[in-house]
Order: sequence, then C-alpha cells, then structure tokens
Amino acid sequence: MVRNKTVLLVFRLVLGGLFVYAGAVKVGDPLDFAQDIRNYRLVGQSLSFIAAIVLPWLEILAGSFLIAGLWRQGAALVITGLLVFFIVLTLVTMARGLDVDCGCFGSLSRKSGWSVIIEDLAMLYLGLCLLFATGGRSDLAKRVLSAKSQRAE
Amino acid sequence: MSDAGRVLRQALALGALSLVLAAAVHLPLIKSFARGEFRESFFRAADYPGVRLITLEETEDLWASGAAVVLDARAAGLFGEGRVPGARNVPSAGREEALPEEVLALPKDGTLVVYCEGGDCQSSLALARRLHDEGFRDIRVFGGGWADWTKAGLPSEKDDGPE
Repeated sequence: MVRNKTVLLVFRLVLGGLFVYAGAVKVGDPLDFAQDIRNYRLVGQSLSFIAAIVLPWLEILAGSFLIAGLWRQGAALVITGLLVFFIVLTLVTMARGLDVDCGCFGSLSRKSGWSVIIEDLAMLYLGLCLLFATGGRSDLAKRVLSAKSQRAE
Repeated sequence: MSDAGRVLRQALALGALSLVLAAAVHLPLIKSFARGEFRESFFRAADYPGVRLITLEETEDLWASGAAVVLDARAAGLFGEGRVPGARNVPSAGREEALPEEVLALPKDGTLVVYCEGGDCQSSLALARRLHDEGFRDIRVFGGGWADWTKAGLPSEKDDGPE
C-alpha cells in the first residue's frame, strides 16, 4: 500500500474529485438516473427512485469529505463500498447479457462492460490505499494490526 | 478495533447526511412519488410532452393504417428473429452512440411508435427519451412490446420473410 503523504493527497483529490463530479452530474436529473438504475432490472420502481435521489448525494458528500480531509477513512469506506458494489453489479449485468448504460456519469455514461470494471478497479485501488494507509492517528491498518498483536500477546 | 468502529460510524453518518440532503433538495419530487407518480415509468409529462404510452389496440391501429413509423428497440438478433412488419431496428439507446441517420432523417412532426421485448423491458422508454431530445414530438411507447404483439397473434416478419 502507498504511504507517501503527497501521493495519498493526490489520490484523495483525484478520487474525491471523480466522485463529486459523478454525483453532481446525476443530482440535477434524478429521474434520468432512476431510469438508468431501473434498466439494470434488479430492483423495482420504488427502490430505483430512492437510490436515484440518495446515491448522488452520497457520492458528492463522500468525495467532498475526502478532498477536505474530514472523516477521510469514513469517506474512503463509503467510496470503496460503492465501488465494490458497482463492480459486482457490472459483472452480474454482463453475465445476464443486458445491454445497458452504466449510469456512472449521467449523460456521459457509456455501456456497462469491461472498461467500466477496469476503471472501477483502478479507483478501488486508490480507495483502499486511502482506507488503510492514511497515516498518523487515522491509520486503520496500523490500529487493526496492533490490536491483533495485543490479543496474540 | 475502536478505530474500525469510528470509521464505520463516519461512513454511516455520511449515509445519514445524504438521506437528509436528498430529502431536502428533492422534496417536490418525493411528494410526487408519494402521490403515485413514476410508478409505471420515470417520465414526467412536463419534461417529455411528446411522449406517451399506448395500448396494443392503438399500436395495431397506427401500424395497420401506416400512420406511424414503427421502431424496434430490441437487440439486432431478436429483431432478425421476428418483428412487427415494417419496423426499423434501433437497437442501441446508448447515450454515447448517435441514432441512425435514417431515423434522424424522419419528419420531426411524424408519429413514431417504439417498442421492446415487453414486460419489464426499458429500452423503448430510453429510445423515446433520446428521440424526444432529437426533436421528435409525437412518440408513442408501446409498453406491451413484442410479447403482447405475438400473444395477440398479430402479423410478424423475420429476416427470411413473413412468418
């Protein structure tokens, strides 16, 4: 995992910026995004509607907090969780043979497929680096490891 | 492990904040949903004044009279296996791909009927939105789609000729 503070700052700005952008382009047209979610044919109208109005705000908030350096690990956890969900969703969609827009970036979305998965995996790497190697007081990996070693003793 | 708990609480707090923001910003939309709107589709009549859903009977009338151009939004393979006679295939409603030139060249004030598989299919709605964005103003979405058309025993054709 990356530990260089400058590199981690760049990761925060890039990943946070991408999520703020992804949320911002969707928040203005929730019905369009709801249709994108519905197209996956996994959830009904109501859940599609609820997800479409909440998810963009979650992306914007998590991205903004990551950029601002507030609740960095919490924001990284939200983002990595979302990315894992998006990757699984894309794989399931491909396995079902559905031909749908990914809905990732509003009107700039493209078809769900391998390129979307590769992008999500790249972002997931940044997210995991931020989640486990933010350094100082908030170094989750260090805390977990030290708790384990204390239990072992 | 208290650190993990703290991170989880932060994530949950972000989720809760998102809910509050979404509810505050989209309150009018949520009220509309609570009143029963958007239960069939996410079209808002005000946003897409030229788009409306039609029944099998209306579709049959428009097709039989030749008053509308029929567009099939299903994948090319399905289109080849069987379709409404005379329908044109517009399989990709993907936003990154332009609509076919022959479709864009149709009269903007003419009537278009779009359909897909039927049942839970969404591609006819997506295509209708794109057609509306291209300036077409009379787009009828046949929600029953290919499933209802064949179930009613209406004529069809395939790549090899009429069935």
